[in-house]
Amino acid sequence: MTTILSLKNISRSFPGVQALDDISLEVEQGTIHALVGANGAGKSTLMKILSGALAPDSGEMIFENAPYAPADPSAAIKDGIATIYQELNLLPTRTVTANINVGKEPNHFGILDEKTERQKAASALAQLNASYIPLQALVGNLKVGEKQIIEIAKALVGKCKLLILDEPTAALNDSEIIPLFNIIKDLKNQGVTILYVSHRLKEIFALADVVTVLCDGKLVVTSLINQVTPDILINHMTGRKKIKSAFPEKNKVIKEEVLRLEHLSSSMVFKDINLSIHRGEVIGITGLAGSGKVELGKALIGDFPINSGQVFLQGIPFKPSPAKAKSAHIGYMPEDRKKEGVLEELSVQRNISLPSLSDLTQFPGFILFNKERELAQQGVEELDIKTPSLKQIVRNLSGGNQQKVSLAKWLATNSEILLLIEPTQGIDVGVKFEIYELIHKLSAQGKTIILVSSEISEIIGLAHSIVVLFNGQIQAILDGNQTNEEEVLQATFGK
Amino acid sequence: MRYQRKNNSQKVLQIIGENGYIFIFALWFIFLSFKTDTFLTSQNILTVLRQGAIVSIAAIGEMLVMLLGGMDVSVGALLGFSGIVGANLMVDFNLSPALAGLVCVLVGGMIGLVNGFLVTKVRINPVVATLGMMTVLNGLALAWTQGKTVAGSQLDSIAFLSRGYIGSIPFSVILMLLFYCIFYLILNKTVFGARIYAIGNNEKASWLAGIEVDKLKMLTYTIAGFLGGFSGLLQVSRQGSATSSMGNEFLFPILTAVILGGIGLSGGKGKIQNTLIAVIFLMTINNGMVLLGIPLYTQDIIQGLILILALSLDRLHYRNR
Ligand SMILES: Nc1ncnc2c1ncn2[C@@H]1O[C@H](COP(=O)(O)OP(=O)(O)OP(=O)(O)O)[C@@H](O)[C@H]1O
Ligand SMILES: [Mg+2]
Repeated sequence: MTTILSLKNISRSFPGVQALDDISLEVEQGTIHALVGANGAGKSTLMKILSGALAPDSGEMIFENAPYAPADPSAAIKDGIATIYQELNLLPTRTVTANINVGKEPNHFGILDEKTERQKAASALAQLNASYIPLQALVGNLKVGEKQIIEIAKALVGKCKLLILDEPTAALNDSEIIPLFNIIKDLKNQGVTILYVSHRLKEIFALADVVTVLCDGKLVVTSLINQVTPDILINHMTGRKKIKSAFPEKNKVIKEEVLRLEHLSSSMVFKDINLSIHRGEVIGITGLAGSGKVELGKALIGDFPINSGQVFLQGIPFKPSPAKAKSAHIGYMPEDRKKEGVLEELSVQRNISLPSLSDLTQFPGFILFNKERELAQQGVEELDIKTPSLKQIVRNLSGGNQQKVSLAKWLATNSEILLLIEPTQGIDVGVKFEIYELIHKLSAQGKTIILVSSEISEIIGLAHSIVVLFNGQIQAILDGNQTNEEEVLQATFGK
Repeated sequence: MRYQRKNNSQKVLQIIGENGYIFIFALWFIFLSFKTDTFLTSQNILTVLRQGAIVSIAAIGEMLVMLLGGMDVSVGALLGFSGIVGANLMVDFNLSPALAGLVCVLVGGMIGLVNGFLVTKVRINPVVATLGMMTVLNGLALAWTQGKTVAGSQLDSIAFLSRGYIGSIPFSVILMLLFYCIFYLILNKTVFGARIYAIGNNEKASWLAGIEVDKLKMLTYTIAGFLGGFSGLLQVSRQGSATSSMGNEFLFPILTAVILGGIGLSGGKGKIQNTLIAVIFLMTINNGMVLLGIPLYTQDIIQGLILILALSLDRLHYRNR
């Protein structure tokens, strides 16, 4: 085997954070090399250095036996290193075709060759078994899962020798991951080297040849995958801190209806949804990408149109809008963290306090900063948000920590109903179960949790009842205490 | 290739970059202090501040709107038109100065409300909406005055606003500082301020967090209108008259000051005190060149160059990765 990439003593710091500390690493040609570590461990920083988006403070890199120091991402792509970032980088107002070809548009003397462009896009999508995505669709209108596919297609169009994937499956359902894995294995067989970042250990063991663990910016260990177990990896990741790994026992639901959906429909996306949701209940909604689960969640908050049917809140008709939902004590954590969940340029503190701000004031609207700080501090501790200070702007946090901020701000409100869409997406295994504990605690206090998630184990572990959507309709409502993964999975396929 | 830690000169450059225009301002200030005998006198400094008062008060409104991610290019025309209405009511209808002043401010607020309505409910791009408003207002101003200057002894009663002194301090300077203190508190200490920043930062996320974005935007455009109307009143007081074109000279310095002060065009970021400093900087550019006896056309060139230099330094640190 030959070494395609080697890193020597790479360090990088940010104000108040040593993100990478003297990393030395070798990656073998044609392997799938996984990178794991807790939120904020430095994984994305390392990938950004490889892709030319960040420069290291010190150290050197060798790619294909030549010194490698990309000045910017386009230089890295020319050298054959393509990257799919944790945060998707797409042009929302351009078509699928344009997005897939961006930066390498086929042309004759500068005149766009639209036909080749379309062909390339179509074949890249076909390679991903995703020809169902219309080439002319605007990317902004696609779902997160579909956008992810566009990102991968984008990388496939270039000539890439090393493909970096930073949490590509965070937003995908268990069953949607399989085609992606097949693609990745295919690419490997064609000799492409893969660097793969993920929090899902199951994936790592299914896919990787070699795994490297980062902890607080330091490289802990690099090992062949068959020489480690998930427990060993978790130990390395968390610095041997004990972590929870069991779902809390579910508590009893109070037979008092808080929310009822009657014949709720939205043009073609979901149809005739009837549900009765109770106090203290955790209700799980799942389904494949495109099943309408996210849109149903959005509709309940007024972020997706309802064409017919009605929502009743405590028996009273309720016409959803974010402001009305807020005054009715409904909290909503959206799916697309970066675009909808956090205010990137504002501090961690302000982000967490934002929905509670009007409760933290004195006449005539002056903010009580001490209370605001307390509230934020509590959220930071509860969810173990890694930040140098409460004043840090959210853009500077790692992806998983941003996700935690977007969750913390809703946990901090006194919401009676919490609508959480993919709440643990991108959150490391060490903290995931802390979040499950919190959800459980809230439900024990009589709060209602609507949990929209594509992670079936999470849904089964937490929900009292599980609503499975298929093609916009309720395929099954399963008892969370009786069902199993297989049954839920079957239902997501309409069986 | 080896990467090196950032060296010291890069760090200095970064610090300068982060405070770009303030740095240039400081250099310019020191230069003028040594080069002329007249610049660093309390008399001259107060003159500079007084010249800045009207621009700076209207600039608060523009700043609020731009913090939201919007823009109001009608601010000059709004200022001029409200001033004309106020002056006209005093001169031709003998309305009491207090009442006419109030109407003047209210007219500004009404126009701001219409701007806000166009931007939020009709969903017209802010630049286009307020550009349209600007044209309408300029036309109305001409029609109202029929091209004549509105002047009369009645306007003497408001002269104090712009030209009066309390002790040795111009009253308009006191007003300016008062406005900046009030809006500093509003922006930094109140929920309303926090929400303006939130919306400018990420409108969708703010909306989803339950903030009534449209209402808040309309309110902000209206406040900007009030401030513009009040500035119009100050301008009438300063000139002792009103002309249909008197608002025109304001748009450029207001926009420049707000942008120079670090309010990005996409909103959500920036400090109100920097807007004030930027206005004063702009005023010292003019003032300094007059003191230096630089010919008029050269003044324009130098003014433009200083602005570009300050803005480039300001953007410099964004490149640092
Ligand atoms: N631009 C930045 N400015 C300041 N700090 C930063 C910046 N980017 C990253 N950091 C910090 O560097 C550390 C490593 O971040 P990184 O994004 O590499 O983590 P990660 O391992 O990818 O985590 P996650 O699993 O949450 O995605 C974090 O503590 C983060 O706050
Ligand atoms: Mg990351």
